[in-house]
Amino acid sequence: MLKILIPTVMLVVTTWNVRAKWLWPATLTHSLLISMLSLTWFAHTSETGWKSLNSYMATDLISTPLLVLSCWLLPIMILASQNHLSQEPANRQRTYISLLISLQIFLILAFSSTEIVLFFLMFEATLIPTLMIITRWGSQAERLNAGTYFLFYTLAGSLPLLVSILYIQTCAGTTSLLILHYAPALPMTSFADKLLWAGCLLAFLVKMPLYGIHLWLPKAHVEAPIAGSMVLAAVLLKLGGYGMMRIMVILEPLTKELCYPFIILALWGVIMTGSICLRQTDLKSLIAYSSVGHMGLVAAAILIQTPWSFTGALILMIAHGLTSSALFCLANTNYERTHSRTMLLARGLQAIFPLMASWWFLASLANLALPPLPNLMGELMIVTSLFNWSWFTLLLTGAGTLITAGYSLYMFLMTQRGPLPVHILGLEPSHSREHLLLTLHLLPLLLLIMKPELIWGWAI
Amino acid sequence: MLTRLSRLRPSLSRLLYNAPARFVSQSKSTGAAGSPTVTEVHPAAAHAGHGEVSQYVKNPDFHGFSSDPVVDEWNMRVAFFFGISMALVIGGTFVHYLPDHSMRQWARREAERLIVEREKEGLPLIGENYYDPNKIVLATAGEE
Repeated sequence: MLKILIPTVMLVVTTWNVRAKWLWPATLTHSLLISMLSLTWFAHTSETGWKSLNSYMATDLISTPLLVLSCWLLPIMILASQNHLSQEPANRQRTYISLLISLQIFLILAFSSTEIVLFFLMFEATLIPTLMIITRWGSQAERLNAGTYFLFYTLAGSLPLLVSILYIQTCAGTTSLLILHYAPALPMTSFADKLLWAGCLLAFLVKMPLYGIHLWLPKAHVEAPIAGSMVLAAVLLKLGGYGMMRIMVILEPLTKELCYPFIILALWGVIMTGSICLRQTDLKSLIAYSSVGHMGLVAAAILIQTPWSFTGALILMIAHGLTSSALFCLANTNYERTHSRTMLLARGLQAIFPLMASWWFLASLANLALPPLPNLMGELMIVTSLFNWSWFTLLLTGAGTLITAGYSLYMFLMTQRGPLPVHILGLEPSHSREHLLLTLHLLPLLLLIMKPELIWGWAI
Repeated sequence: MLTRLSRLRPSLSRLLYNAPARFVSQSKSTGAAGSPTVTEVHPAAAHAGHGEVSQYVKNPDFHGFSSDPVVDEWNMRVAFFFGISMALVIGGTFVHYLPDHSMRQWARREAERLIVEREKEGLPLIGENYYDPNKIVLATAGEE
């Protein structure tokens, strides 16, 4: 654990001490070496139990894929931000990279924490660098509104969570996940216990996001600069999913009755956000709403708590993290050239950027969950386990899958196919950096087809 | 008086003719007779000094990393080497050769071995009782 954490802290030192000319290559190399080291977390010797144990941090089969994903994300964020920050003075570039690194440190601590309190602290701590990235480096005036929505939605959900955690500490005597998973069930009979249930889960449902409380996500994802969108879509949403998976164990048996409205909201959200995507004109907004839809499936799966649904949720979280981040990078390549997010302005790009069109194609196929990509495996497990829970959900998930395929195809056809508009003939050719960026997103996704047991969790 | 007006008329007529504009191609014809020329709406950026100049103009081998060609080249090498050759290839090899994850391959081998063994001895493939019935202690009727 420390072999990852200490180099990440030292990466801040690197950022501030290299010469300005070599800032980006140095930080990129350092972060890629850290992500290589993070692969050692995959070496599990047993299927249950925790690994890399010290008192405060440990990894197990659920947190390992998310940890490796967050470590992988830092170098690709650095790679993605290089172009739009090149005009800024060196110290501001260093500040930006330091914000990304601090986000990374908080995420590593969050996913590897064994105490719920530490997890909560890190969950809240990730808000601050993200808020700074969105409100300072976003490109439109709406970024201030977006930052406000982002901050206050999450904070409003987390205050009940803080109270619930303190209550669990008082009632069960500990907040250590190592113990609580094996502790006898808390007495959960009064109305106040139902509020406890809601309080524990609300923060994570806002973060996921659940459909009714998702309004912060399109704003935050759209207004954030590329690194902000990437980290939000790929990892920060999964903090919500991971938190839910951890805390559900303590909340039995109330979940059997109380989960109904949230599962319905989540599944209805899949259909609604899919339909919204079909009518979007703003490319980043389309990708943001697609994230809400996919995370709705994950939320429903975690709420029904079966082994297959947990596995499906975990697989979909990892696969969606890589896919969504890749789509945001692709949208950013458009944005850096046309300085507009409107899809109609940049159409028929296949004619001028053929290799970028293949990345668009692959990312769109991943988004619509094409076999044998892990996106499909996750979605299929979730749909199957939801069907087992109630046959009615098949109508919602089936329609949702259909609409997802529809808008992914729509996005691909709008940006790549069709006539090339005359007004954008002066677009700069695509850079090797951009192709490397997308390779580093999509190649791990393809490699995961070969070894899905890495992202299965302990439930299968 | 009339001569004065007649002196004005050419200029007036010129003014009157200029108002309805006729769309004539502004671009130079390429010389191939009859070929349609695309109207140059945006002249090449290289001519405009204050527009967005493409990085490829100064550095034809621009990789997308930096405007300094040396840093650009080194950044590209470092990014591709550590990103693909180290992280994906060597990291991928490491992950591929990890020991049996969650003992799945062991479980398969053990199951096959047990099936062969039980078929050889004529035993059922799986016993009816999950727990050993001798170890279950039931309360007899009539006792408290």
